[in-house]
Amino acid sequence: MSSTVVINITMEGELASKKWRLLPLRIDDAFTAMAIDEALLRLNAEGKSPNTLRFWRWLPSAVSLGCFQSVEREVDFEAAERYGVDVVRRITGGGAVFHDHDGELTYSIVCRQGDVPEDIIESYRLICGGLVRGFENLGLRAEFKPVNDVHANGKKISGSAQTRRWGSVLQHGTVLISPDVRQMFELLKVSPEKISDKFIASVYGRVTTIEREIGRKSTFWEVRETMIAGFEDSLNVKFQEGELTSEELELTKKLRPKYASDEWLRKR
Amino acid sequence: MSGERTPYAEFKAPKGVIKVELEMAGDKISHISISGDFFMYPEEAIGALERALEGVEVRGETLHAAVQKFYRSTGALTPMVEPEHWVEAILRAAGGGK
Repeated sequence: MSSTVVINITMEGELASKKWRLLPLRIDDAFTAMAIDEALLRLNAEGKSPNTLRFWRWLPSAVSLGCFQSVEREVDFEAAERYGVDVVRRITGGGAVFHDHDGELTYSIVCRQGDVPEDIIESYRLICGGLVRGFENLGLRAEFKPVNDVHANGKKISGSAQTRRWGSVLQHGTVLISPDVRQMFELLKVSPEKISDKFIASVYGRVTTIEREIGRKSTFWEVRETMIAGFEDSLNVKFQEGELTSEELELTKKLRPKYASDEWLRKR
Repeated sequence: MSGERTPYAEFKAPKGVIKVELEMAGDKISHISISGDFFMYPEEAIGALERALEGVEVRGETLHAAVQKFYRSTGALTPMVEPEHWVEAILRAAGGGK
C-alpha cells in the first residue's frame, strides 16, 4: 500500500510546477518558535522568503494561547510552573494548545496570499487537506471540520490557526501524536460552556491522538514524512529541502524578546 | 473597586467561545474586554470592536446596530461568528452571566 502512495505522489509531483521550501525538523523553545513563524511571514511578504513548510517540537513543553485569549482565564500558571511549561501568546487567533515535547508535532506553512483561496474557510480546507491526507496515510479516517480542525474517527486530532498579513499567510497547527492528556487539562482551564455543550459527552471524549487511534506509538519522523506527502498532495507543490537563511535567523532574534515578554503575554 | 462583581459572561458561538467583561455606567457600557478562541481578520480589529461598543446602551437592538457598524467600517471577518453572537455574549454579561 505504501508503495502505491509513493508512486502517486511522484507522478503528481512531476506535474506540479510550484516548488516550496521544506525546513528540517527543529526543536525550539516557545518564544523562538513563534519568532521564526513571524519572521518567515514578514520576509515572505517582502518577497525575501520562499513559501515554506516546517515542523518542530517544543522544548520545554509549552502552552500557546490564541491572540484574543485572556491568559488569566485560560492557563493555570501554578500547573505551568509545576511542570516547567512555557506559556506564549501567538499572533494567530483560535484556542489554547498544549505542545507536549514528547507527544506533539507542530507544523507551519507560510505562503503568498494568492497561493491559497481568498475565502478563509476554503483556505483552511486546502491546507488542512494536507493533514487529512497525512492522517489517511497513517490509516485513519480523517476529515476537515471548519473552521480549523481535523477530526479522526470522529474526534479532534489536530487544530490550526491562521493569520494573513501584508499579503502573505501563516498557518500553524498541532498534530497530536501521544500527548499527556491529563497534563493538558491540568494546564488549560477548560470553559464550563464548552464542557456543558450537549454534543460533548466529555472533554476526554472529544480529543484523540494518533497513538490512541492506530494503537501504537508512531515516531516524529514517521508522522512528519506522512504529513509532508499529504501537503504535497493537497497543495499540489513539490518540497525542496532548505535551511533558514541568515536574514530569517536575524529577524527571529529580533522578534523573540516580544514573545518572551510579559507585556505581550498579558495583552489580554 | 466597588466590591461589586464585574459583569462577565461566556457564550459559545458556532466557532469559539466569546468571553465578555463589562464595566457599566448606568445602562451603557463604559468599558468592555472581549476575549476568547474565535478568529478575527485582521486581528487588530478587536480593539475597534471594543471601542465601537463603548458608550452603547445594553439593549439588543442598539448593540446589534453598533456591531453591524463595526463590521461595515472595518471590513473585519470572523468566520462562523455572527453579529448576534457578540450581542448575546454582551447581554449575558450584563444580565449577570450564566
